[in-house]
Amino acid sequence: MIRVENLTRRFAGVTALDSISFEVRRGEIVGFLGPNGAGKTTTMRVLTGYLAPTSGRVSVAGLDVLLDSREVRQKIGYLPENVAIYPEMRIIEYLRYRGRLKGLHGRKLRSRIDDVVSSCGLGDVRRKVVGTLSKGYRQRVGLADSLLHEPEVVILDEPTIGLDPNQIRMVRNLVKGLAPRHTVLLSSHILPEVETVCERVLIINRGRIVASDTPGSLVGLLKGNMHVSVEIQGPTDTVKTELETIPGVVKVTYMAHDVWGPYVCECAKGRDIRTEIFRAVAARGWVMRELRSERQNLEDVFVAMTAEDIQPSQAGNGAAGGEHGKEVAA
Amino acid sequence: MRRFLTLWAREMAGCFLSPIAYVIMVLFFAASSFTFFFGVLRNAGEVQSLVLLVVSAIVLWQPVLITVVCMRLFAEEKRTGTIEPLMTAPVTEAEIVMGKYAGALSFVLLVSLPVMGCVYALAALSPGVEFIDNGAVLGGALILSMLSAFFVAVGLFVSLLTRNQIVAAIGCFSAAWLVVLFGHLLAQIPLPWVYNSAELYSVVSHVEAFARGSIDTRTLVQYVAGTWFILFVSVRMLESKRWL
Repeated sequence: MIRVENLTRRFAGVTALDSISFEVRRGEIVGFLGPNGAGKTTTMRVLTGYLAPTSGRVSVAGLDVLLDSREVRQKIGYLPENVAIYPEMRIIEYLRYRGRLKGLHGRKLRSRIDDVVSSCGLGDVRRKVVGTLSKGYRQRVGLADSLLHEPEVVILDEPTIGLDPNQIRMVRNLVKGLAPRHTVLLSSHILPEVETVCERVLIINRGRIVASDTPGSLVGLLKGNMHVSVEIQGPTDTVKTELETIPGVVKVTYMAHDVWGPYVCECAKGRDIRTEIFRAVAARGWVMRELRSERQNLEDVFVAMTAEDIQPSQAGNGAAGGEHGKEVAA
Repeated sequence: MRRFLTLWAREMAGCFLSPIAYVIMVLFFAASSFTFFFGVLRNAGEVQSLVLLVVSAIVLWQPVLITVVCMRLFAEEKRTGTIEPLMTAPVTEAEIVMGKYAGALSFVLLVSLPVMGCVYALAALSPGVEFIDNGAVLGGALILSMLSAFFVAVGLFVSLLTRNQIVAAIGCFSAAWLVVLFGHLLAQIPLPWVYNSAELYSVVSHVEAFARGSIDTRTLVQYVAGTWFILFVSVRMLESKRWL
């Protein structure tokens, strides 16, 4: 549905996108991740025809964004990063105006407006003047606008920014519901959001795509030694030695937050030592409060892939890489 | 075409939904009609064309009107970011430029042409004015429309150049006065082929001729072509923004 080949975009003196290529298939929800200034917004602006590529080919639904710009824009619904709406208009007037610009008229326009107003939760405020709305409402008006003409491709630049948790959940469900009929490309900083909503993730850093896979396999990439955090009340040194004697444990660190520890046990890849820890603690009669394997998530992947001094090829080096990356980012 | 009309309607709505529009209307009407009456009083007892006086009064104040109307056109959209949804909607640059142009021009004409009514008001109030040359009034209205069309095109172009409204305002105002004084400036250049043709570009002499009712098609062509050219450049300018 979206095909980007060797897209390069330069601004005066700066290369924002450096020969990136990716593809989004019909009906997919793809998340676009990257630190600030990585090129997410630039990519989206090129896709929507707001910016022309310096070189490379970009096509949406089989149409070139440069040659068939208008047809492409007809097929795209775009929510910009900063939703800017004429402040003196009412929501309903604005949506009517946008609908007409997108070629909707008469009964069709009215029914589409009713649809998006209810699906974006704008029912009670439809007659309010945009200038008096809060950021969250304006964001939703922008979202309603982007879905107005039932576009084949929906491009959302940070759709949940400035929304409260209830609204975020609503928008997430809305985006998930778009999937079979629409193709969605969304950028976000909120990693759990991308993990739950998107089928595939593109990570972009400094104008290059550094990873493209499902959230699950990206996390798998980083899987190295497993870390188990355990909170035990007992004589610190004895507990530590006892834990170290468990087969498979490589290293035990005592974090010393309080009397409980926690103790973080690093154990060899692919071994689950949680049952052994429980048995050892039970045999000694100590008290255990928590036993938890530290699951890696997309955040670690993100940090590892985008930290300044870590190259994508080293990202597979395991948890150590992730931890290191975290320190650099901090 | 429908998209052009939508943009036009939006531009007009943008004018009339803000209180500034009504303030401008009142101030412009007051300023230009007082200028007209001041001109009438100064020329009391002489033979003087009332139509010329009223058209001159309007032209004198039009640069201010053009500035206030045109400075927002693109500069404001760029500053607030509403240009992004506009440029990513399925409309062509030509539709955007023409829609905005038509909206601004309609507003300018709506504000300035009624001032011509001062002539009739004066005639109704004073027994000294026996008859009004409707042909001259029509000629005056025509040159005013032509001049407004050209002014608004220039203002729109200036507004495209910047995102700062103050810069746009100063640019529009200077450009409008440059248009008015262009003929006079040419007349100062000491080259015979330049100062001999200066008359052709002088807004003042155009106004004088049209306000007598003498409609010169060369002048009409000149304004229409000039307007068309500036709008064409504006469309190209807007297209080029995607590449910068």
